[in-house]
Amino acid sequence: MRRRATVLLLLLIAALVLLPILWTFATSLKPLPEVNSYPPRWTSEKMSFRPYVDMFFYLPFATYTVNSLLVALAATALTLVIGSLAGFAFARFEFRGKNFFLLVFLLSQMLPGASVIVPLFQLLKEVRLYDSLLGLTLIHTAILLPFVIWLLYGFFSGIPREVEDAALIDGCSRVVALRKVLLPLALPGLGGTALFAFLGSWNEFFFALILTTSDTTRTIPVGIGLFVGEFSDVWNQMSAAAILFSIPPLALFLMMRRTFVKGLVAGAIK
Amino acid sequence: MKRSTPYLLLLPALLFTVFVLVYPLLQNLLNSLHRVSLIRGTGDWIGLANYAKVFEDSVFWLAFQNTLLYASVGTLISLLVGLGFALLLNMKLGRITNVMGFVYTIPWVISPVVAGFAWKWLLNDNFGIINHWLISLGLTTEGITWLGDPTTALLCVIVARVWQFYPFAMVMFLAGLQAIPEEQYEAAAVDGASTPGKFFHITLPNLRSVTGVLLLLGLIWSFNDFNMVFVMTRGGPINASMVLPVLVREFSFVQFDLGKGSALSILIFGMLIALSLLYLKMISRREAS
Amino acid sequence: MRTILKAFLFAGLFAVSCSAPRDGVELQLWNFGGLPGLIEWVRARADSFNATHQGIRVTQSQKSWNMIRELLYTNLSAGTGPDVMNVHANYAAEFGGAGFFYPINTFPDFEEVKSWFEPHLLESTRYGDNYYGLPSSAIAFTLVCNKQMFDAAGIAPPRTWSEFRRAAKRLTRDTDGDGTTDQWGLVLLGGDRGGFSYRFAPFLYKAGMNILSEDLKRVEFDSPMGVQTLQLFVDMHQIDRSITPGFLAYQHSEINDLFCSNKVAMSIEGPWFRPLVDQKSAGKEFYTVPVPVPDHLLSQYETLPTLQDMVMYTISAHTKHPNEAWELLKYFRTPEADKYWITEELGAVATTLEALNSPEAASKENLALYRHELRHARPWPPHPGIISIARNVITPWCQKAIVGEISAEEAMRGAAAEAQEILDGAQ
Repeated sequence: MRRRATVLLLLLIAALVLLPILWTFATSLKPLPEVNSYPPRWTSEKMSFRPYVDMFFYLPFATYTVNSLLVALAATALTLVIGSLAGFAFARFEFRGKNFFLLVFLLSQMLPGASVIVPLFQLLKEVRLYDSLLGLTLIHTAILLPFVIWLLYGFFSGIPREVEDAALIDGCSRVVALRKVLLPLALPGLGGTALFAFLGSWNEFFFALILTTSDTTRTIPVGIGLFVGEFSDVWNQMSAAAILFSIPPLALFLMMRRTFVKGLVAGAIK
Repeated sequence: MKRSTPYLLLLPALLFTVFVLVYPLLQNLLNSLHRVSLIRGTGDWIGLANYAKVFEDSVFWLAFQNTLLYASVGTLISLLVGLGFALLLNMKLGRITNVMGFVYTIPWVISPVVAGFAWKWLLNDNFGIINHWLISLGLTTEGITWLGDPTTALLCVIVARVWQFYPFAMVMFLAGLQAIPEEQYEAAAVDGASTPGKFFHITLPNLRSVTGVLLLLGLIWSFNDFNMVFVMTRGGPINASMVLPVLVREFSFVQFDLGKGSALSILIFGMLIALSLLYLKMISRREAS
Repeated sequence: MRTILKAFLFAGLFAVSCSAPRDGVELQLWNFGGLPGLIEWVRARADSFNATHQGIRVTQSQKSWNMIRELLYTNLSAGTGPDVMNVHANYAAEFGGAGFFYPINTFPDFEEVKSWFEPHLLESTRYGDNYYGLPSSAIAFTLVCNKQMFDAAGIAPPRTWSEFRRAAKRLTRDTDGDGTTDQWGLVLLGGDRGGFSYRFAPFLYKAGMNILSEDLKRVEFDSPMGVQTLQLFVDMHQIDRSITPGFLAYQHSEINDLFCSNKVAMSIEGPWFRPLVDQKSAGKEFYTVPVPVPDHLLSQYETLPTLQDMVMYTISAHTKHPNEAWELLKYFRTPEADKYWITEELGAVATTLEALNSPEAASKENLALYRHELRHARPWPPHPGIISIARNVITPWCQKAIVGEISAEEAMRGAAAEAQEILDGAQ
């Protein structure tokens, strides 16, 4: 009896949690005149997957998707590489200024985006990386690094030193030990952290909006923003875009759920 | 092994940090002390006049209050919800908890922009489903103007924020719960402890470090959260839901007063540093005792 | 795994570096916002320009109107940005005066191009001695009245403030007998700060008032007549309850939804309203009439001004190819191009004499009314700080009064003080 009540509770919560998404999905199937009808209804006449098709003609979403993918994958790769090095340094070495540098990385999360955007914009323009996927990748990497470093620091700390010590006795240098011994062990943590980084870049809106300007470099979130026009809002196509946009991260998350949880948790609970 | 190894390893990351922290920070500091606008570019040194302008602006104080509320209430409720769900999922009822574990984390994976719009549509006073249900259930006679009423707008944004952030807390708590050694519970059972007793004397203390981490991260991230408020209300109605990050955009990009926007940025930065230092002090004091 | 990721990184780098240099002149055209029909037309026009002008290549990019100020600021201050773009004509004061827009009166054939346009519409693109753009489309604010609701109640569209208030009150009712009002007389665009001020200003103008003094040095909207204007809305909301309660959060799409579901009877709108309504409820009928005037000014009903707004196409002062940009600008504004504003529902009124006087124009719904209103309409005063005043001062103060937090008098006094600071000082 208690079990059945709990299951019911779980299902009820699930319905509440999914409410905004279900409503968005319902909206994505309605023709524009039917969106926002009174009284509000889940279904309407003439529901179809039309908006999912129309959106590719309204705006070049195929290009946006490729851009989002490229930037997210590249930023994830870059962040993991650089973050691993830094996390390893913190986890395995004692050195002067260690706490200072830790603090620096913590602080770099504390400036709001609107404060950072104008100097960054001018900087990118100087190095001719404005309106380029590479420029956006580098910016995303910079934004994601602090938290990723912190996660990996925690994760590496959690792996006992004895493992590498064995390799060191055999004659490897510290850094080689990192590559051959520590990283394979840390793979679950890395996987989880990679998912976090991918998500951060995939969903990023503000910097992508200001730092790219042409259709060829635009990412999906910025594209979605364009559905909100000056006078009219194409809600149904926008909902369709939002649903499609959420599928890759959800799929990735579903596949990597266990590793993600392990990585996040071990990294954050020192 | 070279002494310089750790520094070399840190170098790439530090390079990035220079660009995303040091350079903008210095630039903001510089701008905040000069008269800077689109019209005249960077003008003369005016000392702390920009800061004075910020403090004299009544919207700043409103935004400050709202941001404190948004960050603290939002984070606290997210933690409570996260803990609640984690406890629920920890009951391990087989496959259903696995599935629900996935479902409950979905809000976190959704983009904040999408989430903001979704909640905006739900809360629409005439066409949103929430008012429709409230009226059908007889809980209210007319639709509540959720986002149009200065008294409820901030609350709505907080709800949307909790929806987005609680999965993070939940996942962390869940892992924390699973890390608690069984022996502690068994020992307590032997001593005849009640369920609430076990909860307060075993579960919670074990979750202390997780809670600490979540609080700090939650507060910092909420403090700087731009997307949710911007998409749902733009800071309205009549600035009732204005928060500091959105106000920076107002100053810099709408009023084109980059000096004022930079001054506000420095203030925000200072507030967060103060917050973190306070927090770290609390942590170390507790660990010392 | 890592190698795959690295491969993607290099792929990204490669994709980026793949911008092969081209011969000829390259121009960037930015189009902010617009109805779907307009977006289509802009694309087609840009393509047609490329086809007919060898040696010049235009890349057109669609942008969000909501982020126009961020995008302009970041780009103009860094010396980048498009060659040609569409902006509010009243940006001529703010940006043109600061040297960010190209003074097109310096081109040799300007006098001839000038003659294409309705003279006083072109004046809106002027600041000081220079013209900063060619008019793209003109807007005059009018009152739209839901035909179904008005006819059912047997009321005619209002002409005076008293009639306006009475009509709104009559049309605010409980239609399904459940004890709560579910239909209102008037809706206001409260969720868009700029837009709200654009709907309040016409009432000020129709009351015969100025917003600023002629010399742009003093605030004038806080006169007793100004307070009365605000008081009209305050009374409608607080006493009659004839304004939709949630208006502070409403954007265009909410207004459209309400109007089309017959939940609201009147709104203050412009020529975009026809295509906007057609998107939701094709062919829904409504009356378009001039914004009401104060009772004591009824004799001047035909000549009192409403608010005029205009979009113009402008050339960036940073452009590397001013002459080619001028060609593009002209191509977008020839009378032939302008005809589309007559034949298609692009949401605003044409601005060239030829288009406005063409035979097709005669059959366009309400064009006569808009031309009439535009003849007397006035734009916002051409002060660089006026946009700041409109959205950051006038809107919040007026909204506070309408919802009852302060009195209309306090609101006007407070707004005037802040606006005067902006006029006197810093910016």
